[in-house]
Amino acid sequence: MRVFGNLVKPYMVWMSLFIVIPMLLIVLYAFTTHGNSVMAFQFTFDNFGKFFDPVFIKVMLKSIQVALITTGVCIVIGYPIAYVIANVDERWQTLLMLLVTIPMWINMLVRTYAWISILSDSGLINTFLKSINIGPLKMMYTDFAVVLGMVYNFLPFMILSIYTSLAKMDKAVINASYDLGANTRQTFMKITLPLSMPGVISGVTLVFLPAVSTFIIPKFLGGGQYMLIGNLIENQFITVGEWNFGSAISLIMAMIIMLSMYMTRKMDKDIVQEAQGGNKW
Amino acid sequence: MVGSKNRKLTRFFLIAGVLLFFYAPIASLMIFSFNDSRSLTSWAGFSTQWYTALFANREMMSAIYVTLVVALLSTFISTVVGTLTAIGISKSRKIIRELIINVNSFPILNPEIVTAIGLMLLFSSLSIEKGMITMLVAHIIFSTPYVILTVLPKLRGLDPDIAEAAMDLGATPAQALWKVIIPLIMPGVISGALLAFTMSFDDFVISYFVSGNGVKNISILVYTMSKRINPTINALSTILVVIITFVLLIVNLLPILKKKELRGAE
Amino acid sequence: MKKIGFSILLLSLMLTGCQTSKPTLKVFSWGAYIDNTVIEKFEKEYDCVVIYDMFESNESMYTKLLSGEKYDVLVPSDYMVQRLIDEDALQALDYTKLTNASGIISGLLNREFDPTNTYSIPYFWGNVGLIYNTTIVDQSDLSQGWNILRDTTYKGQIYVYDSERDVFMVALKALGYSTNTTNISQIDKAYDWLEVLDKTMDPVYSTDDVIDNMIQGNKAIAMVYSGDAAYITAENPDMAYYVPLQGTNFWVDSMVISIDAKEVDLAHEWINTMLDPEVAKLNSVFVGYSSPIQTVFDDLKETDFYGLSAYTPRLDYPNDEVFKYNEDIKRIISDLWVKVKAN
Repeated sequence: MRVFGNLVKPYMVWMSLFIVIPMLLIVLYAFTTHGNSVMAFQFTFDNFGKFFDPVFIKVMLKSIQVALITTGVCIVIGYPIAYVIANVDERWQTLLMLLVTIPMWINMLVRTYAWISILSDSGLINTFLKSINIGPLKMMYTDFAVVLGMVYNFLPFMILSIYTSLAKMDKAVINASYDLGANTRQTFMKITLPLSMPGVISGVTLVFLPAVSTFIIPKFLGGGQYMLIGNLIENQFITVGEWNFGSAISLIMAMIIMLSMYMTRKMDKDIVQEAQGGNKW
Repeated sequence: MVGSKNRKLTRFFLIAGVLLFFYAPIASLMIFSFNDSRSLTSWAGFSTQWYTALFANREMMSAIYVTLVVALLSTFISTVVGTLTAIGISKSRKIIRELIINVNSFPILNPEIVTAIGLMLLFSSLSIEKGMITMLVAHIIFSTPYVILTVLPKLRGLDPDIAEAAMDLGATPAQALWKVIIPLIMPGVISGALLAFTMSFDDFVISYFVSGNGVKNISILVYTMSKRINPTINALSTILVVIITFVLLIVNLLPILKKKELRGAE
Repeated sequence: MKKIGFSILLLSLMLTGCQTSKPTLKVFSWGAYIDNTVIEKFEKEYDCVVIYDMFESNESMYTKLLSGEKYDVLVPSDYMVQRLIDEDALQALDYTKLTNASGIISGLLNREFDPTNTYSIPYFWGNVGLIYNTTIVDQSDLSQGWNILRDTTYKGQIYVYDSERDVFMVALKALGYSTNTTNISQIDKAYDWLEVLDKTMDPVYSTDDVIDNMIQGNKAIAMVYSGDAAYITAENPDMAYYVPLQGTNFWVDSMVISIDAKEVDLAHEWINTMLDPEVAKLNSVFVGYSSPIQTVFDDLKETDFYGLSAYTPRLDYPNDEVFKYNEDIKRIISDLWVKVKAN
């Protein structure tokens, strides 16, 4: 069997070159300065120090805030939808899930771009409102537009995650709960919800991660003044040319994300353990 | 029962609402791609002028070409490499397995922008000229981990001794691989390939940071063109939507139709 | 399996070997800065391929060059030309090949950033001003000059151009300082001026998207380049262009050839073609920006752009300044602008 083990060797070389080295380069640039050419670097903490300015901390916090709101909205809308679909006639489930996931495959830029002509001051919604004499609603360039754009792009992932874990659930357990006299609400709260938690957690991961790091959605729907951490990084790398500072910001963002992933994974373990432990028969 | 009917109604409206939310923007995009004027908000009549403009626009056709070529090549390469590596992983020692799976997960767990800038720094410091090749390399980098992740579970479901059994019966390792293992994991391989294709076709962030010298894929083009109102983007988007919907419907409904066929044949 | 391998080979060949026979000219210019038919005609006439890449700002252009991308012809603004000259990134133009150069408006030549025009030759020119909706904005408010952008009557109704130098120019002029000041305390005051604007006016920082938005009348006032204003006022008669008396930035975007250009002769042909009156006219009409060719400029200001003040920016107004490049100040302004936006 060892012979098949050799199959991994090419990929290991590839990985070191194209996955490990780029990561190391980011770390290198983050801790050096005047480093747009790898040769002329000097070690420094300045790049990180530059980030600890109230303005940039605010950007980080705002990104987390927007991502959390987006994730929350996705759960609030996504869970009921996934639950309903998981409980309809099996024939409809495939079709409905297909309809829900098709937008996921459509280019994110195209999907976000579509909202501009809907939300703008002379866009579709405002044109309609004008025809019934309601003054223009300011939607573009607001928190609302950005969260809307994010929810629009990431909701299918949440629905898919939750639906998968709901569909996989053993119906026997639920039936047993009813047989033992529990009503719908009790069954849901004590059986369905806890057992579907892995799906919710994985959905949270699939939504929070891109939501906190995206720059397209804030740029299209929030305008140049709506700067989230992704925009800051893009700005430093593409416009300003301060790759050192940009790398430092990326590292900080990556750290924060790793921390939140770790925390959600712990939560996942705790909740699932509790649910499984609580169902001892 | 009235209660049940109410519940059915709420369910219906809930789902209809979400579907409306999802498809309304796409519908508006598609509708205005046929607009006779340059507006995206007021309808001036039916026209296919934007589609004509699309096919006459060199930049757009070039972007479509780039997107397709990169997607097809990166899908093929990442699927082959990913599948073979996954097979290798499943037959490796625990230490190597853990190492590869962990490093493999970096491009998946990292936000796209981090992977993107890492690659940009790599190409820049090695003075590699950015263009289609760098885009292809980047796409292979982010697709292969997903292929591996899709194929591995299928390998876990296999009988661990099956390859050995084939070789005991006289097959060479290559034959055991090609004629035994791969056919058994084919569904996983195909899913992986589909995933790789879609990720490459749709990619923006990574392509944006690693391509240059005028090489653009569809996403980058939409990004640069979106500053001005340009219904040609709508035309392009409509075509993309139609193709993707068509492909997805076929991929998903074909197995069901096959089942029906079998049932009908009984 | 063989079939797949063959098609892969074919695809790879398509990837790499597509345009090997014809010479390739690489041009790096602003977005929507050329009539696309011009590119096709050039390719046919000189039997070549033109890779026409675009940038949004001088800064992002420079960063792209930094990351290793190489071009033959670039179209940077004045201060960026100065920077590139200082960094030995350009080569001298061979005027024997630029037969159309004599048609250029003389007032655009011999500017400080390239006094003998050794390296650069004008492509478009203009200034920065305010475009406003005449049906919403009170004419008397315009006398505030740039400070109208901080007039809370128009809160939530303004677009500010997302360009660090232009924004700081506005702030510095509003405070009565020179746009090329090296006085840090003046720059800090300009930063404060912008901070107040950001906090009290709810501005939208835009780039090219300001054009279609103002044509649609989505906001009342926008800070724009004169060329964009010419285009907007031509499309929307409610709009008008005003340049504050406090002074503004007078700019010239020039064509230059990079020092390591591969196709030097072709590059010269390109530049000469852009200076050809017929081509220059096509470009000017399509983009809306003022042509540097005297005959074209005189023609269009009486025809296509008649009555649109944005097409004829004032030349030699004492308070108008051309940007100068200063490395340290650029760093400071860059950082400060990011902070304003991040707030």
